[in-house]
Amino acid sequence: MTVIFPSAFAPANAIRSDAPVMVLDRAEPDREGELRRLRETVRRLERSGGASSAPAIPLDVPEIDAALPDGGLAGGALHEIVPGNVAHDGAALGFAATILGRFAQVRRGQILWIHRDAGALTAPPYAPALAAFVDPARMILASSRRVEDALWTMEEGLRCGALAAVVGEIDKVELAATRRLQLAAEKSGVPALLLRALDKKSAAISAAVTRWRVTSAPSRAHLGADGESLQDIAGPRWRLDLLRNRFGDPARTDIPSWLVEWTNEKGHLAVVSETVGRPHGAPAQRLAG
Amino acid sequence: MARRHKDWLAKTAALIGFHQGGPRIVAVNEHARSAGIRAGQRLADARTLVPDLTTAHAEPAADLKLLETLAGWCERYTPWVAIDPLGGALVDSGFESDEATQGVDRMATATFGGDGGLMLDVTGCGHLFGPGIEGERALLADLTARLARHGFTTRAAMADTAGAAWALARFAERQKDLLAPVAGHRTLLAPLPIEALRLDSTTAETLRRLGLRQIGDLLPMPRAPLAQRFGDLLVRRLDQALGSAAETIQPRLPAPAFRTRLAFAEPIGRAEDIAAATSRLLAALCGQFEKAGVGARRLELSLFRVDGSIERTAIGTGRPSRDNAHLMKLFQEPLAHLDAGFGVELMMLSAAAVEPFDTQQVALAQAVGGEVLLAPGGGDAPAAPARGHDAEVVQLVDRLTQRLGAANVVRLAPRASHLPERAVIALPVAKPAVRAGLWTKVAAYKGPRPTRLLAQPEAIQTTAQLPDDPPRQFNWRGTLHRLKRVEGPERLVDEWWRESVPTAEVENAPSGRDYYRVEDEDGQRFWLYRDGPINAPPVPPASRWYVHGFCA
Repeated sequence: MTVIFPSAFAPANAIRSDAPVMVLDRAEPDREGELRRLRETVRRLERSGGASSAPAIPLDVPEIDAALPDGGLAGGALHEIVPGNVAHDGAALGFAATILGRFAQVRRGQILWIHRDAGALTAPPYAPALAAFVDPARMILASSRRVEDALWTMEEGLRCGALAAVVGEIDKVELAATRRLQLAAEKSGVPALLLRALDKKSAAISAAVTRWRVTSAPSRAHLGADGESLQDIAGPRWRLDLLRNRFGDPARTDIPSWLVEWTNEKGHLAVVSETVGRPHGAPAQRLAG
Repeated sequence: MARRHKDWLAKTAALIGFHQGGPRIVAVNEHARSAGIRAGQRLADARTLVPDLTTAHAEPAADLKLLETLAGWCERYTPWVAIDPLGGALVDSGFESDEATQGVDRMATATFGGDGGLMLDVTGCGHLFGPGIEGERALLADLTARLARHGFTTRAAMADTAGAAWALARFAERQKDLLAPVAGHRTLLAPLPIEALRLDSTTAETLRRLGLRQIGDLLPMPRAPLAQRFGDLLVRRLDQALGSAAETIQPRLPAPAFRTRLAFAEPIGRAEDIAAATSRLLAALCGQFEKAGVGARRLELSLFRVDGSIERTAIGTGRPSRDNAHLMKLFQEPLAHLDAGFGVELMMLSAAAVEPFDTQQVALAQAVGGEVLLAPGGGDAPAAPARGHDAEVVQLVDRLTQRLGAANVVRLAPRASHLPERAVIALPVAKPAVRAGLWTKVAAYKGPRPTRLLAQPEAIQTTAQLPDDPPRQFNWRGTLHRLKRVEGPERLVDEWWRESVPTAEVENAPSGRDYYRVEDEDGQRFWLYRDGPINAPPVPPASRWYVHGFCA
C-alpha cells in the first residue's frame, strides 16, 4: 500500500480540500467504514483520561446541546467563559451561573467558587441574584489576592471528587495552568468553569474543552411601545458564541452562535427562535483543533 | 547582660538602676558577689567595697524579653512555665503581677540572689529522663547543663512546693540540697535565712531584729500570734513553702491537655526528616485523641533549635479531626516555610484546642448535610456514600483555609437587611449550611438584584429629561451608556436603628436610595440608584447617582 500526498505531484489548484487526500492503489470496499471506526476510536482515546466515567451534562437547550459532543458539556473537563462586553461581565456571570445550575442539578455535592480579588474594582458574585440560577447554600466561596493561590485552590478543588463543580474567576491564566486544571478535572470527573477577563493576549490559547463568548444583547421589546419613552425590562438576552469546541464536529467551519433568553419565572434558558442559523456579525472563521 | 560584655567575665561588675532616690545595684556578677556587693545596695556603698566596679545601666525590658525567651525554651520540659513574679530582674520592666500589688517589694526579695527566675511545674515530667528521683535529677542536670552551654549561669532547684524550690534555688549552700527528696524539704529549709520565704523587707528586718534569722526558728512557733504580729503574708509564705497551703503556678501560655514530644540524639535539619518526625508526632497524638474521644481543632508544632530559639507553627481544622493523613497534609504548607536553622534537637506537637469527636454526631451531621446536598432530578449522579463525600469536602476546606486564611473561605448566608451590601453575610464553612431553598425564598420577596455587587458604589454623571426622572444616559468609567429600558424605582432605606449618614444639604431628612435596573442599547444591564433625602424635602437637592452592580 502506498500513501501518496497529492501536493507532491499535482499542481496547487488540483487540491480539492485542505485535508490531505489518501490515494489508495488497491481499492477495497470497506475502507471508508474502517476509517470512520478508527477515527471514533482515536476520539475516544483522546478524551478518556478517566473522564469516561463522567457523563456529559446537557444544557437543556436542544439547539446548543446538538452542537456539543455527546449532547452536552463534558463532565470532567474545563470550560471557559469570556465576556464579550467591555464594560462589565454581568452577562457572562449570568451564563456561568446557568451552566452551574445545570451542573448542580445533575451532580450532587458542594460547589466551590473561587474569586480572585484583583482590587477595588472587582467584587465577588452576589448571592441573592445567583439564587435564581443555583442555590447559594451549596456554594463555598474562596477568595484570594494572588493568582497562584487562586489557581492552586481551583486545582485542589478539582482533585476532590466530592464537589459538584468548581468555578474560578481568574483573570490571568497561562496555558500550562489551564492544562493542569484540565488534567485534574479529567481525573476526578468534576466539571470546571473558568471565567476569564476580556484579555485577548492571555485568552488566546488554552487547554479548555470549550470556550464561550457571552455578550449581552438588547432584550425583547414590549409590544405597543413607542420609540421615545423608556420601556420595561424583560428577561436578559445573551449572544453565545462557541469559540472553541475541542471534540465537536470537525467538519463545521463556522463559529456556532445563538441568541438566548433567560426566563427567571421558568428558570430556564431558551434559544430565541428567529435567529436560528443566522450568522453572527463577525466573519465566520475556521475552527482550530 | 554579661553575655553582651564578654570582658566582664574577668571584672567585678554590676548593673545599676535608680530606686528609692539614688543609684542602686540591681544585679551583680560572680566576682562582685564574692566581694560582698548585693543587689539593692546603693552604688556609693558598693564603690567603697570595690572602687573599680564596672557598672552599666540595667535594661529591665530587655531582661524581661530574655526571660520570656527562656520561658519558651523551658517548655521543652513542661508546659507549666511561669516567670517568677518576684524576680529581681523584673523591676521597672512593666511586668505586672498580683504579688507586686500585694505589697511585696521586689527589691527586698531580690536582696539575696536577686536575679530573674522561672518556675516550672515538672510534675510527671521526670520519667522522660529516667525512673523516679533519678529522672528528676537528670532533668535538673540537663536543664542547667543546656543553659550553661548557652552562656547562662543558673541555679535550679526542685522540691515538692514552689516556695521551697524558690528558697533552695537561691539560698541552698550545698549542691546536693538543690534537689529536695520527696517530703524532705522541711529539713532542708530550716537552716535557710528567713528571706528565703519571699518576705517584704520590713517584715524580714523585724524578724531579724527579734533574733529569728532562720526559717527553722519560725517553724516551732504558734501560728496565730505570728499572723497577728507580722501579718497574713508571713504565715501564708511559710505554709506555701511547707506545702500546707496551695500555690498555683500560672503558666505563661495555656497548658495544652494533649501533647507529644520527640527529642533527637543528633540535630536534624532536612525538610524530609522534619516532615517524618511531624508525622510520627501526629500518629502519637492521634492515638491520644482516640483514647480521649476528642479531635483536634488547632495544633501547634514547636521546633526547638540547637541555638536555643524556637520556631512555632500552627494549623486549624473546621471540624474536630484525628485523621493522621489529613492533619499531615495541613502541615505540609507551613512545614515548607519552616527554617530549621542550625538544626532541630527537639520537636513538640500540642493540641491547643480540642473538641469532642463523636462518631454518631458526625454521622448525624452528614445525614443533615446530605439532605442539602441531594439535588432534585439528580438522575445520573454517581451513587457514592454521603459519609466519605462530606468528609472529603471538610478536609478540602481545611486545606484551603490553611493556605488562604479563614476569612477567605466562607459560606454565604442571607441576613435580614434591606441594604443590598448588608443582605449577605459570610459564615465559616464549618457552620451548618443554610437550609436548601432558603435563598430562593429570600430572593423571591426582593426585587431584581445584580449578579455582581460593587463593594463601593461608583458615582456617575447622568442626564435625565426631568429632574426626578430615571436617567436617559449616564457616563461611567469614561463610557457613555444610552439607556433603552428602565425598571424601578425600588426604594431601599437603611434600618431605623442604624445611624444613617446625614446628607449635607438637608440635615434632618431621612435618606434612602431609589434603585433602578437599566439596560443600555447594547443590552448591558446595570443597577443604579439615586441617593438622597426622601419624602419631599423642602428644597430638592440635585440627585446623586451611583452604579451599584451589574445585572445578568
